[in-house]
Order: sequence, then C-alpha cells, then structure tokens
Amino acid sequence: MGVDAFEIVINVVKLLVIFLMMIQAVPILVWVERRGSAFIQNRFGPNRVGPLGLLQLLADAVKFLFKEEFLPRKAVRFLYYAAPVMALVPGALALAAIPLGPPIEVSAFELFGQRWGPYVFKLQGYDIGVGIVFILGVSSLGAYGLLMAGWGSASKYSLLGALRASAQMISYELALGLSLVGILLVYGTFNFYEIIAQQQGPLSFSWFGREVVGPWWLPNWGVFYNPVGMILFAASTFAEANRLPFDLPEAEGELVAGFHTEYGGFKMLMFYIGEYGHMIVASSLLAIFYFGGYGIPGLPVEVLEAKIAAGTSLGPTGVSVLTSVVSHLALLVKLGLFLWIFIWVRWTLPRFRYDQLMDLGWKSMLPWALANVVVTAVWLLLANSK
Amino acid sequence: MPNTIDTILKVSLNHYLVLSAVLFTLGVLGVLLRKNVIVILMSIELMLNAVNVTFIAFSRYSGNIDGQVMVFFVMTIAAAEAAVGLALAVLIFRRFKEINIRYFEHLRG
Amino acid sequence: MLELADYTFYFLALVTLVGGIAVITAQNPIYSALWLALTMVSVAGVFVSLDAWFVAGVQLIVYAGAVMVLFVMVIMLFDLRRETNAFSRGMVSGFLKLASAGIFLGLIGGSIYNSAETVFAPPPAELEKTADATKALANTLFTKYIFSFEVIGVLLLVIAIGAVTLSRVQGGTHAKHD
Repeated sequence: MGVDAFEIVINVVKLLVIFLMMIQAVPILVWVERRGSAFIQNRFGPNRVGPLGLLQLLADAVKFLFKEEFLPRKAVRFLYYAAPVMALVPGALALAAIPLGPPIEVSAFELFGQRWGPYVFKLQGYDIGVGIVFILGVSSLGAYGLLMAGWGSASKYSLLGALRASAQMISYELALGLSLVGILLVYGTFNFYEIIAQQQGPLSFSWFGREVVGPWWLPNWGVFYNPVGMILFAASTFAEANRLPFDLPEAEGELVAGFHTEYGGFKMLMFYIGEYGHMIVASSLLAIFYFGGYGIPGLPVEVLEAKIAAGTSLGPTGVSVLTSVVSHLALLVKLGLFLWIFIWVRWTLPRFRYDQLMDLGWKSMLPWALANVVVTAVWLLLANSK
Repeated sequence: MPNTIDTILKVSLNHYLVLSAVLFTLGVLGVLLRKNVIVILMSIELMLNAVNVTFIAFSRYSGNIDGQVMVFFVMTIAAAEAAVGLALAVLIFRRFKEINIRYFEHLRG
Repeated sequence: MLELADYTFYFLALVTLVGGIAVITAQNPIYSALWLALTMVSVAGVFVSLDAWFVAGVQLIVYAGAVMVLFVMVIMLFDLRRETNAFSRGMVSGFLKLASAGIFLGLIGGSIYNSAETVFAPPPAELEKTADATKALANTLFTKYIFSFEVIGVLLLVIAIGAVTLSRVQGGTHAKHD
C-alpha cells in the first residue's frame, strides 16, 4: 500500500476515485446510448430534462433509487441480493488494474515540518505484474453474477438467460484469451507499462535482420502488427459484455429480459453498471494492446514531457502531473471512440441466433485465433532471425 | 528472545502444508460421505486444489519453479476430469432423473 | 512480530477452510458449487501470497472462471433442489469414514511436523517476482517439460472427443436433416 501515511492515503483515494469513475461513467454512457440510438434510428431520444436531455441521467438515478424494493415469491433471498453485487465487482476490480496514464513522479517536499517523498504514483488502482492475466481471471468471475441472478430469482426466463449468458462467456473467453496471445508474443511481456512504452514512437520493426522505420506520424501501434488479433479481440469482447449482436442472454423477443427479468430499481442499475464496466475495461484493453494506450500518435510520452517542461515554468512534479493528465486525456479520447463503436454496433447489427453464436465462437473465431498465434510466432521467428 | 506464540504463528512452509492437508482431508470426507455425483466431483477438485497449494508452497520455499509447472498439469487434468465427470453425470441424470453415485453401476455398454 | 502478510495468510486460510467445509456440508449442490468457487478464489489468493502471480491468474481463469461455471451450469440444468438425504447412510460406516479421514489428517500432520522444517530449514529463497518469474516458468515448461506438455495436449484432445461422444444426443439444433 505504501511506506508512509501520505502514500497510503493517496493510494486509497486512487482506488476510490477509479471506482467512482466507473460508476460515474455509466449514466453518461446510458445517455450517449439513448441519444445515439435515437440519432441512428432517426428519433429524438430523451431531450426534455435539461439541455440536450443531459439531466435525464439525474432523473433516472433518482427514479432508480426511489423504486419499490421487490423480492419475487420463491426467490432465493441471498442469491437474489448478492447477484447484482457479483455483477458489479469483477468490472471494478479489472478496471482498477488498468493503467490510465503514465506514472506521476512527485519529488521530495516539506510538509508539517517533515520531509516526504520522493514518490512515484501510478495512475492505476494497483499494479500487478501479470496485469492481463489478472484482468482475464477477474472478469471471468462475472459469469457468477449472471448465474446467481438466474437461479436466485426463480424464474424460467432468468434461468434460461443466465445459462445462455454463462455458456456464451465461457465459449468466447477462449477466443478472447487466444486472440491476445498473438500480440503478447509481439511484445514479450505482460506488463501494461512496458506494452505501452513499446508502442511509443514511429512504426519500427525488424524485418529479416533489417530495421525498418516508418514515417514519424505513423505510430508503433499493435494493430499494425496483429490486425486479425485486434478484430477477434474486439468481437469477443462484444460477446463477453453481452452486447448486441451477442445479447442472446437478454433477447427481449424470447426471454423478456434474460437474467435480470426479475430485477428493478437500483439492483437493475447495478447490472447495467457491470455491463458498462465490462465495456470500459474492454475498450481500455483494446486501447492498451492495439492502439498505444495513453500515448499520442507522433508524440511519445518522453517528448511530450520535454515539451511541457520547455513550454511551462513548472517544477518537475508539475511537469509530471501535467504529462499524466494530457496522456490520460488521450486515453479517454480513445476510450470514448471505442465505447461509441460499442454503441454504434449495438444499434446497427441484428442479433445472432443461438446456434449461429456458438458456431461463430467455436468454429470460426477459435480456429482463427489459433492460426493467428501460429502465424505470429512463425513471423516473429523469421523476421527476427538474421 | 522472540515470543513463542509469535514464532508459532509466523507463517512458514508448515502453515501452508497444514492448510493443504486440512483441505485435502475435507475433499476426502466429501468423497466418502456424499452421494451426489456432482458433489463428489467437486470434492475431488478440492483435493486437487490442496495438492496445488502444496506444490506452490514447496516451489516457493525451495526456490525451484518446477512446482508451478506441475500445478499447470494438475489444473489441466482437473479440467479434463470435470468435463468427463460432468458428461457422465448428465448421462446418469438423463436415465434416472437423479444423480446418485449408486446409479453408476447401471452405466454399462 | 506478525506482519501484514501473515494476517493475509490467516484470512485466506480461514476463507478457504470455511469454503471447503461448506462444500461438503451444503445440502443443495448449487450452494456447494458456489462455495467451491469461493474456495478456488481464495486458493488463488494463497498462490499470490506465495508470489505465484501467474499461476494465481490461471487458477482464476481455469478453475473459478471455467470449471466451476461449468459445474454451476450443469447443476442448474438439472434443476436439483435441496436434497433430503445428501449424505450416505449408516452410523458405523460413517464413523469409520470420519475416523479414517481423521487418521489420514493426523498422518499428514505428523509427517509435516517431523520432517518439513528439517528438509527446508534454510530461509526461503526469494523467487523473482511477477514478470521474470513468468518467463522462468515458461522456459521450464517449454524446455524441460515439453514432452509432458505435448502429452497433456493429446490427453485434452482425447478428453474432448470422449466428452462429446458421451453427451451426444439425437436431434437438437445441430442434427443433420436429410
């Protein structure tokens, strides 16, 4: 946690802030989703409460909080109440392991007649060396939230939805994990900071012993090395987050609302937060592995820091903070773009049939992901050989 | 002179081994006492986990990574065993509408 | 002095053992499975306390994320309710089973008490943490144990085919319609 009081306090505050970030992002995303779907379908969407309907979020939150507490007859009380929490926790845990910006270096300072620091604060809840393995592991626990909801609410629709959801999550987890193996082979590390550091600067790779360097504006992003992996990863995250075109678990036409049929009010909102948390985590992973993380194309973090140091009269701490903030904004822009793509796809594509979904997962995406791993390995072996 | 209680409570290899032993015994008890095939399979998973704890603890305290490799193999076997076991349980359930271990003898041919 | 790591271990051990006891005592198989999932997660925590980060992650993905979800799914499909006679009958045999498990535990405990400290008397060697340890693990797995690794792969294939053969049914969405 830290060596002294200051570091411990900052680290705890960091964890809380990241959790609140996830919670806070959800109403905004819901608003974007509703307005965006309205835009796509040539409707108006919520535009009555406040400017552009922005206060609709607040009205919805109030409505959710004041809804009647309801427990279906025959429901298993403990599972029924525990399920929304279980849906929320994995997303929050996974998000806390994602680096949101370069580390802030705080040089030593005097406060309360005592000397503090120097410190290095990572813009991340906690740094785990095997980051991606942890995130995959934690987000695979999300299936329990759905299963508990399905069993706990003692409804056939819920149970069927939960079974579909968990079968889908298990199936697509394979494709998800395997699609990342290719890009992990390219980077040769699990550590997010090292992965992002390798993607700074212009495109450069070794080609049969020769160093190839691209133009300065073309960033050294993972997507140029492993486009197939990127597509597979993006597609399987849609399935993992139970979003259209993979939202069989809550197919309205067949299952009313799937595993959350019997939920209302704030418990329902917690499922939403879990789903959007999944989307946020997936988008950040997409950004980190394939789109340079918090790096700005054509402007590596070190160059940015040097420019800020030259352009302003801040001390080293201030420069570090400003660099982190600017890089974090770059990550947010990428996140916003990917989240919009999530929403865009949801309102554009129709839903799969269930057997098509399973066929796609097991018979198309899994072999493609395997082929991607093999081809990447062979390519790396050949291209790096002299 | 350190306090004796603290010396005993200070976590060492033995603590992990005792934890693993108790977990393994719980698994054995589950296999012996329960009748439901699926619960018996779960008890076997419990025993495999206990073995994994032992492997990792020895690997950590002897500074040798081979133990972790063994854990991978154990996990693979466990997953395979669960798959086949559950398939058998499904078969039993389909025929007898109950998954009691004593129906296993009817699964010939 | 006890440190944070010691308290963490005792907490994890408590969760693991409570989960383990609940697995074998819960009357409803679905609760057994959920408790076992909790046990798996806390065993992953125990792995982390032993600096085996990667194995802990794999434990979460494979055991807690896939195997246990499979168990829970199958139990839900069966729609098993609370079992009235979950335990095998017979006072004498039950006593014998308990006693043999107790003797077994005593044997392991005794052997631990008598031998482990003498075999591993030196203080623990610090395994290098996280990333380097993962690389060392991969190196060992793909050089020294490559043959076992391949055999395990073949075994998994056999198991997959076996499981499919066992659970094949006529009809269903994937049946061939002539």
